[in-house]
Amino acid sequence: MDELTLTLFFIAVLFLFLGSGVWVAVSLLAVAAIGMMLFTDRPVGDAMTTTIWGASSSWTLTALPLFVWMGEILFRTRLSEDLFRGLVPLTRRLPGGLLHVNVAGCAIFAAISGSSAATVATVGKMSIPELRKRRYPERMINGTLAGAGTLGLLIPPSITLIIYGVAVNESIAKLFVAGVLPGIMLAALFMGYVAIWSIARGKRGDRDAPGDDEPPESARGALKDVALLLPVILLIGTVMGSIYTGLATATEAAVLGVGGGLLLSFMQGSLTRETFMQSLLGATRTSAMIAFILAGSTFLSLTMGFTGLPRGLANWIATLDLAPFVLLGALMVFYIILGCFLDGISAVVLTMAVIEPMVRQAGIDMIWFGIFVVVVVEMAQITPPIGFNLFVLQGMTGNDMGFIARAALPMFLIMILAVAILTFFPRIATFLPELMAQRT
Amino acid sequence: MRRKPKTSFWRGVDRTLNHVYAACGYAAACFLVTIGLLVCASIVTRLFSVYVPGLTEYSGYAMAAASFLALAYTFQHNGHIRVDMIIGKTRGRVRRAFELWTLFVASLACLYLAWHLGRLVYVSWRFEERSEGADAILIWLPQSLALLGGVALAVCVVHRFVKTLACKERHG
Repeated sequence: MDELTLTLFFIAVLFLFLGSGVWVAVSLLAVAAIGMMLFTDRPVGDAMTTTIWGASSSWTLTALPLFVWMGEILFRTRLSEDLFRGLVPLTRRLPGGLLHVNVAGCAIFAAISGSSAATVATVGKMSIPELRKRRYPERMINGTLAGAGTLGLLIPPSITLIIYGVAVNESIAKLFVAGVLPGIMLAALFMGYVAIWSIARGKRGDRDAPGDDEPPESARGALKDVALLLPVILLIGTVMGSIYTGLATATEAAVLGVGGGLLLSFMQGSLTRETFMQSLLGATRTSAMIAFILAGSTFLSLTMGFTGLPRGLANWIATLDLAPFVLLGALMVFYIILGCFLDGISAVVLTMAVIEPMVRQAGIDMIWFGIFVVVVVEMAQITPPIGFNLFVLQGMTGNDMGFIARAALPMFLIMILAVAILTFFPRIATFLPELMAQRT
Repeated sequence: MRRKPKTSFWRGVDRTLNHVYAACGYAAACFLVTIGLLVCASIVTRLFSVYVPGLTEYSGYAMAAASFLALAYTFQHNGHIRVDMIIGKTRGRVRRAFELWTLFVASLACLYLAWHLGRLVYVSWRFEERSEGADAILIWLPQSLALLGGVALAVCVVHRFVKTLACKERHG
């Protein structure tokens, strides 16, 4: 068999394993081992364990379980109630009213959690029943939650960005800092959409904009409610501030986050032996799952190198001499399709070995590309048939998948807009990391 | 899902193994806490401008130990993700066939991994390899924790495979 046939066979086996439901990490390991046997005469097993040991005992990776743990701790506090009560006085007068709570709440929770499913679950737990009680349209409740939940992976700390940073060997601190402005921009776009929707609806004279029947609140009561946001904001400020100023590495900031999370949970009285153990064991399972996938993908990257596929693809793309935005457009479509079958983390680790040389060849900044990939992979999380945010919402609202997906469609389009803005104004992502590099 | 094995002996084996996986999971959780403590130590020592060699390496080893030791426990809790688009839609016999196929592949892959982790540890031990970092400890020490986790995972996957194979009347 010639090289091309072998490569095609190799990819076919990968999809057979993944498609038939073999665990993602196991599929990557097995396919990589098969590939090594096909393409080289090197001792496969030894190459496998050396690579895996190197990848899993790396210091950079330690940020991962710690940030996961921080999210798990805060997930088990009264944070969702506090977020809701604190945001109501701030948003009720805006056009679109309390729907903004969904977006702002997700943005805030995203800054302490690295997962979008957890973000949707935490914010939705409180806001879905409250918004329903106030007769907001079901479609908007679902849509805004699904869309804004994607901020969980964009606004740091972000599990996907950690994985991306480890996979392409870029600074996690820089990636985190790069995610801040695009995250805020995306949140602003979502809120803008809600406002425009509400004004347009008011003009059509359907009925009063929802939120008008909100009972008035005393200024003091409102202030007291807003003050509930303070501890969270303080925690976010500490974690991100210590990264941005260069005082702490991403891992050290994660430890600060765990400590702060425990303190916050203790002060609220929700820290018990049981919640502590649950959060710790939950974090242990999640990070083992991710570390296993990462181990498999590192080995697969090694094998991919032997197939010559990444280099070949990079050279081929170079000869086409595409404008960068054409290449990026193609990659966006590719990731959205891939994301229909795979979760975000698997999609990133699976493709980076092949995509990285191509993107570097095209002269695209790898920090910027990380932000791009996260947004694009996240878009896939609100499209059927596999969309984790949709699954979570389905479980929480009882609506069917099709309805939620349709409700989330405007948010999907807004995210395409955000990617376009990010492509034409790349400084939105690269500005802060550059500033950070100059300071240190 | 779970059908009680026929004899009390096998029931005992089943129960003991489950305890072993859980114990590995708890050990992994301890290593996760250890990572946190090591990072704290590195912050504190830096504040007092003391240099303790090897702290970053030790947190790396703790990371590997936490990941590998938790693999079996995570598998027991169905914590490893898979693409369930097709398998999730199947029922009865077809479902069982799918499960057996995926468990078969996973058993082979995990046994292969565990075996070669064993070789890795053996080679490191045999040649007394030391870490290249500032800690310069014998590398087989942290590696054997990864081996332990790898073996537990292999046992756990094979365990599930055998169990699924044994309870056919339930699905058939």
